[in-house]
Amino acid sequence: MTQQKRLLIIDDDPDFVEGIKAILDAAQYNVDVAYNPKSGLQALQTGNYDLLLLDIMMGRGAEGVMIARKMRKDPKLREMPVLIITGIREQIAFLFPGGPMHPRFVEVDELVEKPVEPRLLLEKVSTLLATVEAKKAK
Amino acid sequence: MNGKPTFSEEVSNLLYASEGNPLKMCIQCGTCSATCPSAPFMDYTPRRLIGMINADMREQVLNSNAYWFCASCFHCSVRCPQEIDIAGLMYALKRYSMWKNLYKEDLIGPTFSETFVKTIINGGRSYEPILATSYLFSYGVQTFLMEAQNATSLMLKGRIPILPTRIKRLKNFRRVIGRIIPVGGAE
Repeated sequence: MTQQKRLLIIDDDPDFVEGIKAILDAAQYNVDVAYNPKSGLQALQTGNYDLLLLDIMMGRGAEGVMIARKMRKDPKLREMPVLIITGIREQIAFLFPGGPMHPRFVEVDELVEKPVEPRLLLEKVSTLLATVEAKKAK
Repeated sequence: MNGKPTFSEEVSNLLYASEGNPLKMCIQCGTCSATCPSAPFMDYTPRRLIGMINADMREQVLNSNAYWFCASCFHCSVRCPQEIDIAGLMYALKRYSMWKNLYKEDLIGPTFSETFVKTIINGGRSYEPILATSYLFSYGVQTFLMEAQNATSLMLKGRIPILPTRIKRLKNFRRVIGRIIPVGGAE
């Protein structure tokens, strides 16, 4: 890796954040954390991040969806890859009548369900970063 | 934000968009508890609950039944001299315990809320006979029979529909819902 990648986690669950932050730190990523959607969005707008790890159920409800939508409208943030990490299916399982749920509600690149396997998480993060690099190179 | 947030910070993260003041501004005057119609049924009054959150007593707060007994009348929020949104806090605690699966097994609230949302999403309207099954069986035979009798006479008078009603243009409605929460299948 030539340059250390900067990641941002927006999740309101401190224990979960601690877990994935440890995994990502060990993999030599530079990780920042925001524990609520508001400071998360501020961090996104001020900082320069390569990837966002986003939780869905925060604050008033499905705030993660709101953030993703706002990002889509923002020309600067539109290109940023998003990895959605959520336990949403477990939490409101009744809303998903079978079938794998791909988040069509936002233009995200990947979705991982809680609890996350460390290897899978790192794999997804590096693939997403690689895809963006490839896109930029074009 | 750096460092692991404490329980009180977690709660304030849940309330980040609330129009009320932060919980730390509570002066423990007890207006909320005095005005609360559900307070006699709660193990901790709203005033104590706020005090406990500010003291980071996570276990005790989550084990309390207080927030599930909140009737959402919003008297506390209206009367709070510090303008804290206490009813909003009760909802925040409900969400917190449901998202983390930390609520007690025998509670009616979580199943009731889930059934309610489900019936609304399916038909656009609340339907009492389905809603009632989420709590009816936990009250014993006598109450069950009494409720059944009431429901029958209401049905005979046309006060409760026999079949669940559906609103017109349900598809549009589900699209509206889909904008707020990620409903499976909705655009």
